[in-house]
Amino acid sequence: MSERVKTGIGVAAAALDYDAELMLRVKEGDGASFGVLLDKHRSSVVHFLYRMVQNHAVAEELAQDVFLRVYRSRSTYEPTAKFTTWLFRIATHLALNALRDGKNERLQEHLDDDSSDMPVRQVSDHRPSIEQSMVHRATLDEVRRAIKTLPEKQRAAVLMHKYEEMEYSQIAAVLSCSESAVKSLLFRAYETLRARLAHMA
Amino acid sequence: MRCPIETQENAELLLAYCSRSLDAERTAMLEEHMRDCQSCREFAGGQKAVWEALDTWEAAPVSPDFDRRLYRRIEQEVSWWDLLMRPFRPLVFRQGLPIAATAAVVLMAGLLFQHPANIQRSAAPESAQVEAMPPDQVEHALDEMETMREFNRLVRPDTAEPKM
Repeated sequence: MSERVKTGIGVAAAALDYDAELMLRVKEGDGASFGVLLDKHRSSVVHFLYRMVQNHAVAEELAQDVFLRVYRSRSTYEPTAKFTTWLFRIATHLALNALRDGKNERLQEHLDDDSSDMPVRQVSDHRPSIEQSMVHRATLDEVRRAIKTLPEKQRAAVLMHKYEEMEYSQIAAVLSCSESAVKSLLFRAYETLRARLAHMA
Repeated sequence: MRCPIETQENAELLLAYCSRSLDAERTAMLEEHMRDCQSCREFAGGQKAVWEALDTWEAAPVSPDFDRRLYRRIEQEVSWWDLLMRPFRPLVFRQGLPIAATAAVVLMAGLLFQHPANIQRSAAPESAQVEAMPPDQVEHALDEMETMREFNRLVRPDTAEPKM
């Protein structure tokens, strides 16, 4: 199987990235390769969606839809772009749709409870004091609200740039816009965030 | 060095610097510039604060049953047709389609060459068909013929009966 994949169209995929090669194996009926892809990208997709919609349950539901779409598209998959570009394009598309449909609004009342599930960063070797925890919660809440005020595309661009460490060209491919448009989106987004969060320095 | 903050294109240098993704040479150049440029210092300070604030936002771990739920949904997607066709799919996609298409063309051509008359013959009926008449209609027609005959006899008595 592996040898065959490396011939023909597989060569183009392998030149692109290993994920695309795995996806071509999924196309050939190799379910284990889908498992590898899932293992590799599960967390980043869920985390990206969580930061987009700011609700853990909705984020997981959307992430399931993302991987389901990947699986459904296996027979028509062609490695024309980097696998993660394709993956995050699906994720972004679903997140933007969910935000426009107000899908997470019905679970909005759990937003505050949701933040309590977040891991509290240890500031020292000891457990954080109640005061430290409260300060951290307040900071976190402010960060989340600042991100939430960003227009959807700016939000997606910032999250991919900051947390997924994507390059401008890849963000541009995900958002289907030019590289200069991405720079502009990021510049404006960080300008808004600086106005809201710079006092934390 | 031209002040990066003056143009949006160059401001990406400052963004890269604050995200620690700028190469050593340009980092040194930018730091030297920032010693004399207060605007850039303020920009970098604010951007660093944003970067650190964003670092505090850690996402919760993925639910342990995420994969199980996903695979259950995938299994539900697999229809009975997929289950039936799965063993034949590689054959159908790789060799089956061209073979089946060729076989269909050959079969059609063979049928056309072997029985060309059948197609024309089927257009014409095999034999003439006599329409059946209901008995009461026949009886009515005979009565009418008898009436006509009576009428003829009254009007022209010499021609009423045919001569044998």
